[in-house]
Amino acid sequence: MIPVKYTFRNLRARWVTTVMTALGTGLVVWASVLSFGLADGLEHALMISADALDVVCLRKGSLDEVSSGLDKQTADRVATLDGIVRDETGEPLCSQEYVVTLMKPRRGDGGSTNLIVRGLKPVGRRLRPGFRIVEGRDVEPGKNEIITSHRVAERFANLALGEKIKINNTEFTVVGHFEASGCAAESEVWTDIRDLTTVRKVQGVVSSISFRTPDAATQERLIQIIKEDEDFNLKAMTEVDFFKDQMTSAQFIKGVGYFIALFLTIGAMFAAANTMYAAVAGRSREIGTLRALGFSRSSVLMSFMLESVVLCLLGGLVGCLATVPFNGYSTGAANLQTFSEITFSFSFGPRVLLEGVLMALMMGLVGGLAPAIRAVRLNVLQALRDV
Amino acid sequence: MGFLKYILRNVSRNKLRSLLTALSVGICLAMMTVLYGFITLNDALIPELAAANRMIVMSRDGFTSSIPITVLDHVKRLDGVQSVVPLTWYLGVYRDEKMPSFAQLATDPKELLKVWFEFRLDPDQLQAWQDDRTGCIVDRRNAARYDWNVGDSIRLKGNNYSVDLELTVRGIYDGPEFINDLYFHWEYLDQELRSRNDPKAGTASILFVRAKSEKVMDQLCEQVDQRYENSDHPTLTQSHQAFAQMFTKFAGNLQVYIRNIGLAVVFSLTLVAGNAMAMSMRERTTEIALLKAIGFSRGLVLIMVLGESMAISLLGGVFGVGTGRVVWSTVHYFWPTFVPMDFIAPVVLVSGVAVAAGVGLVSGILPAVRASRLSVIDGLRRVV
Repeated sequence: MIPVKYTFRNLRARWVTTVMTALGTGLVVWASVLSFGLADGLEHALMISADALDVVCLRKGSLDEVSSGLDKQTADRVATLDGIVRDETGEPLCSQEYVVTLMKPRRGDGGSTNLIVRGLKPVGRRLRPGFRIVEGRDVEPGKNEIITSHRVAERFANLALGEKIKINNTEFTVVGHFEASGCAAESEVWTDIRDLTTVRKVQGVVSSISFRTPDAATQERLIQIIKEDEDFNLKAMTEVDFFKDQMTSAQFIKGVGYFIALFLTIGAMFAAANTMYAAVAGRSREIGTLRALGFSRSSVLMSFMLESVVLCLLGGLVGCLATVPFNGYSTGAANLQTFSEITFSFSFGPRVLLEGVLMALMMGLVGGLAPAIRAVRLNVLQALRDV
Repeated sequence: MGFLKYILRNVSRNKLRSLLTALSVGICLAMMTVLYGFITLNDALIPELAAANRMIVMSRDGFTSSIPITVLDHVKRLDGVQSVVPLTWYLGVYRDEKMPSFAQLATDPKELLKVWFEFRLDPDQLQAWQDDRTGCIVDRRNAARYDWNVGDSIRLKGNNYSVDLELTVRGIYDGPEFINDLYFHWEYLDQELRSRNDPKAGTASILFVRAKSEKVMDQLCEQVDQRYENSDHPTLTQSHQAFAQMFTKFAGNLQVYIRNIGLAVVFSLTLVAGNAMAMSMRERTTEIALLKAIGFSRGLVLIMVLGESMAISLLGGVFGVGTGRVVWSTVHYFWPTFVPMDFIAPVVLVSGVAVAAGVGLVSGILPAVRASRLSVIDGLRRVV
């Protein structure tokens, strides 16, 4: 076994080449990890929104809340179903919500995007993970007040505390900012459902019904009851399934991320191979000497593979470190069907970083294989004679 | 000409190295071609729309809201308006697809072709469509894809609307490449909605207007918006191009992200190509010294090295852009929802090659300057 010191010494001896190649692979890993972190962050924001025991109902046939429309009587009837968890006062934890998307200007760059506005009653807050007001206060019904998250206030104009936006030519005032564990609710503006349906002139219309169940069996039973009741004309599913369906934009970004990662990795493999071929060519005498000294072919092979791997892992490390400043950085992605924005943060968890390191490892292994084989195939006498 | 031959000979001296460098450049540029093709797709269509003098009237709240059909009656009578039709996105699901994969638009069959004057439709088929309230027309490409013929029935399940539709194909039209919509009678949808007391009855998603000339368009846009400014349903009227640009802006962040990745990739490629060039030059110091000894000037040596660097990158660039174009067509064939058109703006392709040339130039500068400055004596003395 050729000592590992040999590998590191070599990398240091030709440090310019080492640095350039490492930077090259580092950038590749950086771009790929960034893409994975983006997709991961989006998925996280969606999945954390789903409580395992919640159920969501939409009008039968509709694919999302904005296209679904059902009437209040149906919603009220669903709330009376036996099995829904009740709160301390005996009221069912069942929320009727009305959702609409409005095109509103973004802060700063002059463009507009669809903003999700949700009307609901206080009970809806209990169905979101960790909902709490962090600034100002919650809305009071009947006063055309709205609350939203810091993220939305940063991305859209006129949504800071005290500012107003117009909904159907009526002004709504921001009275508070809230947080909800980074879930989908943090991409929305909330108000009282009756205030919203009144100005939109759709009183009595509901987009979705959500409620909590005490256990999986009851959850399954209630979903069946709702699906089979013809008067309801609803489709019911677990909240987890509901959010899975919303993930089309996450899939798209993931697809783009993998596309980028694949191509860049192949490009980087060629670059690593290039460097290693040059290394082998420049060191044929050295290799001949090593072989003459008695090191076996496999030792030489391993040594060069190791060199290639270390080179790429170095780059991988740099690339991963370069993503750290982006951690937690909020951005928005447009849902490709409704074009509404969902804001989320980049998430560079251990899994994503591991993927980056594995990519670097692969680059080193595959890129370094052919050159290493060439090193091993050298005829000892000829190599020794080489200049 | 001999000079060029010499450069190319040098490129092929270490075929493996040149190939690997060209491939690194090429693969990365292939990826960038596809990504940039994607983000410029929308903008590429815009100049095509400019000449037609068309405008879109929509709700100020965005295109997911509707406007009352009464707005159409008002717009129709405005001076300067040639023709106007309602368009409503039905967004139905066909067969067992999970999501709507082509647009189905409710419209006015009598006036549609006056606004979409580019459409070519057999007059008999047009008449048949106008006469059949549940009839529809489809574009040729979609018809080929789904194997629709005149007389076939198409069932659509409502998603955005609570009603399902049963349509019969009455005509197949030929339209611009980026249009693959199905058009049916607005009256049919509206009647179904009215019979269910659906609040969406009596509305349209947008109005599609053909103005008499370009001059009156700005004025018309203002006129319409002012009229409904303080009403229940303020409108936003803009040219067809501006409407299309709106969608580009929606994708805003994705563009920024791709551009940043592009910059990082170009920087990285410069390093890679530069590294490869430097390795080559290191091996040829004696040769360069020899060339200078027999009379090659500094300038000539510089150009030679730069030429070699650019030649390799350009080879990679052409390969990459070509591959990218092929990948684009392949993705379009298998997943048309993501890549709706088999088209990449020529400027993207040309820029790709230009970037390759640029990378070759910048990455070659340092080795080239080093080589040109090489002391002849030192070079001849050196044993590599």
